[in-house]
Amino acid sequence: MAEELDLTGQDSDGGSEEVVLTPAELIERLEQAWMNEKFAPELLESKCEIVECVMEQLDHMEENLRRAKKGDLKIEKFFPHILEKEKTRREGESSSLSPEEFAFAKEYMANTDTYLKNVALKHMPPNLQKMDLLRSVPKPDLDSYVFLRVKERQENILVEPETDEQRDYVIDLEEGSQHLIRYKTIAPLVASGAVQLI
Amino acid sequence: MDAAEVEFLAEKELVTIIPNFSLDKIYLIGGDLGPFNPGLPVDVPLWLAVNLKQRQKCRLVPPAWMDVEKLENIRDHERKEETFTPMPSPYYMELTKLLLNHASDNIPKADEIRTLVKDVWDTRMAKLRVSADRFVRDQEAHAELDNLTLMEINTSGAFLTQALNHMYKLRTNLQPSQSSQSQDF
Repeated sequence: MAEELDLTGQDSDGGSEEVVLTPAELIERLEQAWMNEKFAPELLESKCEIVECVMEQLDHMEENLRRAKKGDLKIEKFFPHILEKEKTRREGESSSLSPEEFAFAKEYMANTDTYLKNVALKHMPPNLQKMDLLRSVPKPDLDSYVFLRVKERQENILVEPETDEQRDYVIDLEEGSQHLIRYKTIAPLVASGAVQLI
Repeated sequence: MDAAEVEFLAEKELVTIIPNFSLDKIYLIGGDLGPFNPGLPVDVPLWLAVNLKQRQKCRLVPPAWMDVEKLENIRDHERKEETFTPMPSPYYMELTKLLLNHASDNIPKADEIRTLVKDVWDTRMAKLRVSADRFVRDQEAHAELDNLTLMEINTSGAFLTQALNHMYKLRTNLQPSQSSQSQDF
């Protein structure tokens, strides 16, 4: 039963394309999305379509394994920034949140707001009672170091050491090689699938 | 990532078993397996092999590299080289542990193999510690680590990345920067 699945994806022009995958490839993609999300310092693009296809397969197989799509508190830690990003997201870009996650993030924000107001802000002098969550909650640290494996050869990736000499240099990433580097430089490559976080 | 999760990924690796039962081809999400006929070798994922072995439905065949002479060569080669040499399997540690724990009766000279693999692991971890030390000391911003397996990276990876993150923050705060991420009131 190596039937092929239709996975609606986005190509670089923003249009939709149908990618046909075997179930085995689908599982591979889910695992890759799981690992990338686990090791990235920020919330990555939501891969609803992969999860939906897998769920179909699982129902089909009458098994009951739900793998947590993204479940390591990233939404709770960075919620004001995530909601801000969603507000300013341009038409056509893919969302980082599934509809359920978006609802969760909004509720979490409302709850935190109410909680802080009732526990602390109420008792402060009137002119200090406003609070800006966006500024007080720490942003995702995109300078974190990550390990990665290269799936598609890349050239001229800029490495910026932070020492005073400021000697930026470029490296090429060979297919199949593994590296340790700051997340910021390679973030677009994770999104495009050219590298896999490990 | 826990070691258990790395092991989970390792369990996708194919190993050869000799079943003592028969079953038609089975169709799993990850691919088709079988058919199974008693006495005929078949390749299955490690998770299935271990499960069948525990239910006494098969015999496990050790992979070609799990052999005393070959492992001795690998160990000596690893000790000689300064960099990391390619390993026979990207999951050699997990395979060794699972196969030796569940199927040592199917593997000749299991104890020697266990010792040899442990030697290789220790040598590589020592190299990893030295190279991490050099990375930090020279304040490098990038490292290439080909031929390292996921279990090795994962064992020291979390600590190493956190330490590097802290050091990076400390260093960048030494310079007055326009792109300061500190919170101003």
